[in-house]
Amino acid sequence: MAERRPRHDAWSLLADGGRIRRDERLERPLDWALCKRLFGLMSAYRLRRNFLFALVFTRSVQLPLLAAIPPLILKGPVAEGDVPGLLLAVGGMGLLALLTQATMFFRVRLAHELGEAVVRDLRGAVYAKLMILPMSFYDATKVGRVISRMTSDSENIKAGVQDVLFVAIVQLGQMLVAAGIMFWFDPVLFLAVIGMAPILYLINRTFRKKLSRTHRIIQESFSRVTSTLAESVSGIRITQGFSRQRINADLFHNLVEDHSEFNMDASRVSGTFMPLLELNNQLFTAILILFGGWRAWHGYTSIENVVGFLFLLGVFFGPVAHMGTLYTRLIMSLAGAERVFRLLDLPVPHPDDELPAGLGKIRGEVEFDDVTFAYHEGNPVLHEVSFRAEPGQLVALVGHTGSGKSSIINLITKFHTPTRGTVRIDGRDIMAIRGTELHRQMGLVLQVNFLFTGTVMDNIRFGRPEATDEEVRQVLDHLGCRDVLEVLPEGLATRVGERGGTISLGQRQLICIARAMLADPRIMILDEATSSVDTLTEIRIQHALQKLLRGRTSFVVAHRLSTIREADQVLVLDQGRIVERGVHAELLAHAGVYARLYHQFTRAGEAEGGGD
Amino acid sequence: MDWTRTETSNWALLKRLLALGWLYKARCLGVVALQTLFMAVGVGGLALTGLAVDVIRFRHTPEEIAWPRLLPPPGDAYRLRVVAYLALGILGVAAVRAALNYTAVISSARLVQDIVIHLRSKLYRKLQELSFRFYDHHQSGSIINRVTADVQMVRMFVDGVVVQGLILLVSLALYLAYMLRINPLLTLACLAPAPLMWIITMIYARFVKPAMLEARARYDEVILTLAESVEAAPQIRGFAREELMQGRFDGDNRRFYDQQRRIFTATSLYSPTIGFLTNTSMMVLIGYGGYLVIRGELALGTGLLVFFGLLSQFTAQVNAISGLVGTVQQSLTAAQRVFEVLDMEVEIKPPERPVPLPHPRGAVEFRGVTFGYQPANPVLHDIGLNVKPGQVVAILGPTGAGKSTLLSLIPRFYDPQQGTVLLDGIDIRRLDLDELRNHIGFVFQESFLFSTTVRSNIAFGHPNATDDQIRWAAEIARANEFIEALPEGYDTVVGERGADLSGGQRQRIAIARALLHNPPVLLMDDPTAAIDPQTESEIHAAMENAMSSRTTFVVTHRLSTLRRADRVVVLERGRITATGTHRELVDQPGLYREIALHQLQEHAGEAPHG
Ligand SMILES: Nc1ncnc2c1ncn2[C@@H]1O[C@H](COP(=O)(O)OP(=O)(O)OP(=O)(O)O)[C@@H](O)[C@H]1O
Ligand SMILES: Nc1ncnc2c1ncn2[C@@H]1O[C@H](COP(=O)(O)OP(=O)(O)OP(=O)(O)O)[C@@H](O)[C@H]1O
Ligand SMILES: [Mg+2]
Ligand SMILES: [Mg+2]
Repeated sequence: MAERRPRHDAWSLLADGGRIRRDERLERPLDWALCKRLFGLMSAYRLRRNFLFALVFTRSVQLPLLAAIPPLILKGPVAEGDVPGLLLAVGGMGLLALLTQATMFFRVRLAHELGEAVVRDLRGAVYAKLMILPMSFYDATKVGRVISRMTSDSENIKAGVQDVLFVAIVQLGQMLVAAGIMFWFDPVLFLAVIGMAPILYLINRTFRKKLSRTHRIIQESFSRVTSTLAESVSGIRITQGFSRQRINADLFHNLVEDHSEFNMDASRVSGTFMPLLELNNQLFTAILILFGGWRAWHGYTSIENVVGFLFLLGVFFGPVAHMGTLYTRLIMSLAGAERVFRLLDLPVPHPDDELPAGLGKIRGEVEFDDVTFAYHEGNPVLHEVSFRAEPGQLVALVGHTGSGKSSIINLITKFHTPTRGTVRIDGRDIMAIRGTELHRQMGLVLQVNFLFTGTVMDNIRFGRPEATDEEVRQVLDHLGCRDVLEVLPEGLATRVGERGGTISLGQRQLICIARAMLADPRIMILDEATSSVDTLTEIRIQHALQKLLRGRTSFVVAHRLSTIREADQVLVLDQGRIVERGVHAELLAHAGVYARLYHQFTRAGEAEGGGD
Repeated sequence: MDWTRTETSNWALLKRLLALGWLYKARCLGVVALQTLFMAVGVGGLALTGLAVDVIRFRHTPEEIAWPRLLPPPGDAYRLRVVAYLALGILGVAAVRAALNYTAVISSARLVQDIVIHLRSKLYRKLQELSFRFYDHHQSGSIINRVTADVQMVRMFVDGVVVQGLILLVSLALYLAYMLRINPLLTLACLAPAPLMWIITMIYARFVKPAMLEARARYDEVILTLAESVEAAPQIRGFAREELMQGRFDGDNRRFYDQQRRIFTATSLYSPTIGFLTNTSMMVLIGYGGYLVIRGELALGTGLLVFFGLLSQFTAQVNAISGLVGTVQQSLTAAQRVFEVLDMEVEIKPPERPVPLPHPRGAVEFRGVTFGYQPANPVLHDIGLNVKPGQVVAILGPTGAGKSTLLSLIPRFYDPQQGTVLLDGIDIRRLDLDELRNHIGFVFQESFLFSTTVRSNIAFGHPNATDDQIRWAAEIARANEFIEALPEGYDTVVGERGADLSGGQRQRIAIARALLHNPPVLLMDDPTAAIDPQTESEIHAAMENAMSSRTTFVVTHRLSTLRRADRVVVLERGRITATGTHRELVDQPGLYREIALHQLQEHAGEAPHG
């Protein structure tokens, strides 16, 4: 299912000072299915792609022709001493050059556009996938990793799409046409040249393997660099609070050093590969001089033909060296594609679009029927939970920390799905209801709040994007907390930093509550919604909520008593089980867990005094 | 205080980039030398080839062969054997070339990597030092891009521009000299298009730089939206805003794409133009050179063929200039972004000569402190507060009153605009920053955990802590029990930000993290907001029992904690409106009394109204 939780990922590496080792298992042969899929991405732009194909075919003829003209001129007009012919030929060459460059113009432009369009689509697709992946994916995946799917992996894919195939075609075509011309010049000499080709093939094969491995490692290690960086930035306040800057910097230095070492490995491989190819080219020149010279010496061929060969040698063998680079790029883009596709291919266990649409307006009845739930298989955090919230009821979830309150919320919202048992909304199994349709009728304030970069107003409006400014202000008025937010430097137009970091936590919680209220939900979820709000504001909000929540089913998790007392139903959780239930008064009379909890509150308020 | 979108002058940037190259001058020169040698040897091979052609061509009239001065004609110049020697010579030269090439590639790769390591480490170090205010106002996506992609582009300035440029200059000179020696007029004729290439390149460069800067900025937006969407997955899902967000992302994505297209248009015009000018040179060579050959004024091998080889090299290099100019543009764009971070002033600086304070008693004093995140908009006004060593001070106040802000001034996360904060009577600005922060344990209002083991999280501030110490801290924070129940106990790796723990579990680990090593000053910002009252009171009891006396500041809304405090400070709208013990304050009219009564009534069983 989701990506496995990374065991020894960047931060643990940082924290434990470990280093990455070169890993052997990364070696893999070229994967044709993957290639096909990668290049298949272009089929959305069939017209452009085909045009591009036509262009590169044209170029693959134009380029060697352009290269063949000088030797032809030498062989023809120059050898014959024909000056007007020479001028004519040069004029012809100019025309061809013009054509070639015109092709080039379209080719460059189209290739870039195609590449960029493909990754743009890919980014969109990855994003769309992120929107439907199950929540468990997010528990186990680092933001930095997802980002590198969008950045370095996408860049590599782009390079692969826009360059590898097309350049390869130009190069191959160029090679073939050059071969044809050479053959036409002197077939025997050509055969001598071609006889050396297997050497090239062998060199290529040896290095291809090595390169493909080193590049995989590089990409993997780069992913670590990014995700470590991302976490370092988001945790910077903790780092500075605990004076760990220097330790972190040293560890990051190691990580970067390792990454560079992997890059060196790649350089070593290609540093051997390229000169070898070069050497090989020179070997051809030597053979050409020796064998061609011998033939010319004895009159089997003309010296102009030998010179022509020398001219064309570059056109013929250039592509071979180029192929090495292209291959590297292909490998890199395949590695990138593989990871992007892996993300795109992650199974979505219960996709919305396979479920019937048309939930309609719900009454808001929520029922848990013998629900057992585990985040990780074999480790259930909720055991045989059953309860039923009638439409419009206020249900309070009470219990020690870690007892499973938020987990119940996660099931009501369909963020997670029960391992056993059924959750029903209005009597319908939640598994048969589309998540998006359900969520449109829900308002949530989750325990971990989140604000987007933007204004306070925008953040509240997230609950109902079409709401007017006036409506937003009204919600705040109803909640009785407009004054708390309007003291901000620019009132509701104040911009908040990343995650809302530039306003106080209590203010953030108020925004979240307003956001949920604005959504005008049938089911309201308040998971410790006011835990960081001061007592008086909290009381104000609770009073407001009493009115606002009327007629809506609501689930409230709170450690403070006043809420619980108002509840139509209190569920007391202990280690994932409902141990008591009822209304406040009954539970108190029962003298069980709840009563103990309650007395804790009371005692805290009255008895033991501190050091006065 | 966003990224200054203003353009730093190119000259200033260039100067700094050159200074960066200067750090590696010896090695850059080494690479240049290797490459030059490599090229010179190549020219040698070319000359040998040309000679061989002429030897064959003039096999019957060997006196017409233009033997280079370095290579005196052998007695049997008309023999085929000479051609064989020349072929062998070509091979020998090629072998030397290959060896040189390998060395050049490796040393330049090493150079590149060392620069990257240098820059990334330096940037990261700087990022670690930059103050909270920097992070308040800068997007993490953009910061990350700067350390990754931009660094690569900056280092390209050294290996791709400085080194390549030098190589280019040397090689151009070399080729030019050789060509001039063969035939000056032909050389001039062939190089006529070169100035035009230069002008076009400059025009291109002028257009492309701002366009690229814009593209990078739009790319940052794409990443920001993405990063936020991953972090806000539950909110997006929970409000069924998938489509809205997809629309937003697609918009960002499209804007980036459009900007890229603008750059392509320029590029796709630029490269064929340069290409055509190159072709023109070749045409001049063939036309005019061919004419010379016909007139017998230029040898075919040592003349035209060698010239052809040289000219292709030469134009290849001139073309490389255009690549180089592109690189300069990218480097400048990236350099601006990288230097922006490196130049960012560290707001909170440690003093030059810190006053040593190895064992503070823990007296904390605020003296006339006024502070605003924006100076014009103070959040705290004229705060005066004197806390004796070992005292427990509870801070209470409405949301947004400035409680967290007050705490954040003690470890110097921010410096006040007016007034001073003192530790043991010493202005904290005169203490070493690390020492100061090491004396302070901080439980932040939000419990951020790193995605590493629970053990490493608790030991975050003191990586050398023993297992016993870690367990001790966890014990006091009432975290030991649940940690041991985790699949791998203390070695369980938690999700990013501690995502797979419950709120209270995260908070307890954060408390343990602050308690480890028994700091003399403890700052706790609403440390039990997510913890039930029973566990809370257990934690308090454990702290009282197991830990020596310390100065504690605790922000809280709970009466139970307020009563424990030696002193309660009521903060309203950035001003201290009352201080005293719980008893004293309950007896005075005011915010405290109101809150206390509310909570007492609540506990007494009657819901308060009003
Ligand atoms: N995403 C997750 N993956 C794995 N385990 C989890 C995840 N979220 C919570 N848990 C575990 O499930 C148990 C119940 O957690 P839950 O968040 O439901 O507690 P809670 O009652 O809400 O506690 P709190 O009052 O502290 O918020 C805890 O032991 C916790 O560690
Ligand atoms: N980083 C920041 N940049 C700018 N303004 C800020 C920043 N942090 C807080 N503020 C503003 O300063 C004021 C005081 O904030 P602070 O976080 O100190 O409040 P608080 O008393 O801790 O509130 P709460 O009880 O909600 O945590 C608030 O109006 C807040 O919006
Ligand atoms: Mg919870
Ligand atoms: Mg606060």
